Amino acid sequence: MGIEDLAESLGQNVLTTTLGKVIGWGRGNSVWPAQFGLACCAIEMIATATAGVDIARFGSEAMRASPRQADLMIVSGRVSQKMAPILRTVYDQMPEPKWVISMGACASTGGVFNNYALLQGVDKIVPVDVYIPGCPPRPEDLLNALMILQERIKAQGILPRQ
Amino acid sequence: MSSTESMAGTEGVTISRTGQQGAFGGELLTVNFGPHHPSTHGVLRLIVDLDGEQIKRLKPVIGYLHTGIEKQMEALRWQQGVVVTDRHDYLSPPINNLAYALAVERLMGVEAPPRAQALRVIMSELTRLSSHLVWLGTSGLELGAMSMLMYCFRERETILDMNEEISGFRMHTSYIRPGGVMADATPRFLDMLASFVKEMPGHVDEYEDLLTMNPIWRARTIGIGRLSPEDAKVLGASGPMIRGSGIAWDLRKTMPYSGYESYDFEVATSDACDCYGRYLVRIKEMREAVKILDQALQRLPDGPVNVDDRKMLPPPREELETSMEAVIHHFKLFTEGYSVPAGDVYVAVESGRGENGCYIVSDGTHKPRRVKFRSASFVNLQALERMALNHMIADMIAIIGTADTVLGDVDR
Amino acid sequence: MIADNLITERGVSAGDEWITVPADNVHEALAALKGEGYRLLVFLTCVDHLVDQSRPSWPGRYELVYQLRDVEKLRELRVRAFVDGDPPEIESATDLFPPADWDERETYDLFGVRFKGHPELTRILMPDDWVGHPLRRDYPVGGEVVEFSEEHQRWQTPPDRA
Repeated sequence: MGIEDLAESLGQNVLTTTLGKVIGWGRGNSVWPAQFGLACCAIEMIATATAGVDIARFGSEAMRASPRQADLMIVSGRVSQKMAPILRTVYDQMPEPKWVISMGACASTGGVFNNYALLQGVDKIVPVDVYIPGCPPRPEDLLNALMILQERIKAQGILPRQ
Repeated sequence: MSSTESMAGTEGVTISRTGQQGAFGGELLTVNFGPHHPSTHGVLRLIVDLDGEQIKRLKPVIGYLHTGIEKQMEALRWQQGVVVTDRHDYLSPPINNLAYALAVERLMGVEAPPRAQALRVIMSELTRLSSHLVWLGTSGLELGAMSMLMYCFRERETILDMNEEISGFRMHTSYIRPGGVMADATPRFLDMLASFVKEMPGHVDEYEDLLTMNPIWRARTIGIGRLSPEDAKVLGASGPMIRGSGIAWDLRKTMPYSGYESYDFEVATSDACDCYGRYLVRIKEMREAVKILDQALQRLPDGPVNVDDRKMLPPPREELETSMEAVIHHFKLFTEGYSVPAGDVYVAVESGRGENGCYIVSDGTHKPRRVKFRSASFVNLQALERMALNHMIADMIAIIGTADTVLGDVDR
Repeated sequence: MIADNLITERGVSAGDEWITVPADNVHEALAALKGEGYRLLVFLTCVDHLVDQSRPSWPGRYELVYQLRDVEKLRELRVRAFVDGDPPEIESATDLFPPADWDERETYDLFGVRFKGHPELTRILMPDDWVGHPLRRDYPVGGEVVEFSEEHQRWQTPPDRA
């Protein structure tokens, strides 16, 4: 069979692309978040998963109870000094590639609680990709952050993370 | 115990051996449960000794959400503190505001005008509904009724939309403040409330259709997590926990505040003393809350929503342009704040979880000396071991679920 | 009524009745009050009166506050006891009121008050290895310096001009 025959038999069914784009497309549209609810923002995170806003439209409805099955950690709420080592352990258990969304003012900077008990920003212990302002942010804010993250994941392709 | 505790990890579930012999011939195992576990309603950690699948000992470990709210309050001025009170029991922010506002008002010797009181009742009952809805949705999810989450959060969104209409914020409204409320209700809010009051009883019927006679739900909750009335009293339980044990203790009836004595409603109780009883109490409370909302809406009095005290609340915007005195008051309030007479006071209100109290000590300055939140979850959680003993490990989920602890409230 | 020699002071603050008892007799007084019908300990906490100007002198630095409630007659009573010393010590009330268990642990954790006779007096809210007792008035609020805040100004101003 010559190359012309092959082209004829495949017809319009071939798409050429780069491996990076395919992997980015696949990864970006199936980000599985770890269920890491901490405080007020966790309630809004649950609200994001329910029918009204429906995070499933963006392929992220599969909230995993085990960090080993997740590739996105949504730090939803304030992180206390006592919780910080546990958060880091959970992060370490997630397989690469992994991303972190810091949801809400408390997770991002400590928020209104500038005191001894809270970690002043979760970025002190884990690398954060997207910060969401708000106390707590609206579910739409979380969706927006997810979309920003998806753009980044798609742009990243097969290159190792910077 | 120390050796086993050191072996217990800090994430999810880890199991370690104790070496002790159990009644079924096997070995007692120590299971570490949480703090990062999907069904503990937050960051609760439990250390459980298991004989087979039976719970022989249970020790809650808390503090994973300790926010230092009480210390933070000491560093904030009186009117700034309201913002922080929202965030300890994050499922019922306006009720936390109410406890704080009532306490400050009692120290100052002022009382909110009637319209503000009615609006406070409306916000409290809306919050109670939304808090019970979150409880019902998540507890249903944990015991296998996934659709409950979708239904309950649908109605919760309606309530949050109302919150947004009246205060500009979905969850942490800071709507109830010392001296009154943030702003008057908009006509649109009252329309939304009227249609909500009309629709909500039908939605509660929907939930009951899904759960009350559901054989799986009944099998998972009836006879599980028994808390006898005597134990409930001795352990200081409050809210649906004590009413689910058949004791009609509701602060709205027994020690009324904000004009609750003038509303006609029943205290929901159940003699079942188990998880199912607590479920029935909460369903009934949702119906009663709608009744209170209806009454409050029918006879919402006219008038101001804030006390007329320039030392406590800023003057209206129009006055600032004409009156020098108003400008001075405004400036003083937002730079220094007001001071509260020295003394201490304890005010308790009924939240969705029970007695939500606020104990304030003032030393006469513009910042509180000490603010203590008496949280219902903190006390109710102490009853957990009593309820879970000799039950299966899977039943613990139902017990934690129906105890309805909010960890932000426990740890503060 | 409990013996008058136990009460050193009594009064009403913003409508709440209170009595003060000597710290050494707290257990005795609480037991007597429990017999009178105050069967519920609503909460137990501590107030630190370090540099408190609202009274010319305080009997002690730490004020233990017990809020009792009689659920039958619907009355409340606040019992105060002042303690001093480092660490301050007082009799535990866990044998009288079971809910005092965690309250006393919390008070120990945040104020460093030792309760004699408590079955397991360990830290409850802060991590086990935490140093200091955060709710004491001489413990800083902590957190980070915020730009444009009062603290920031103090931090920037040289000591001789502060």
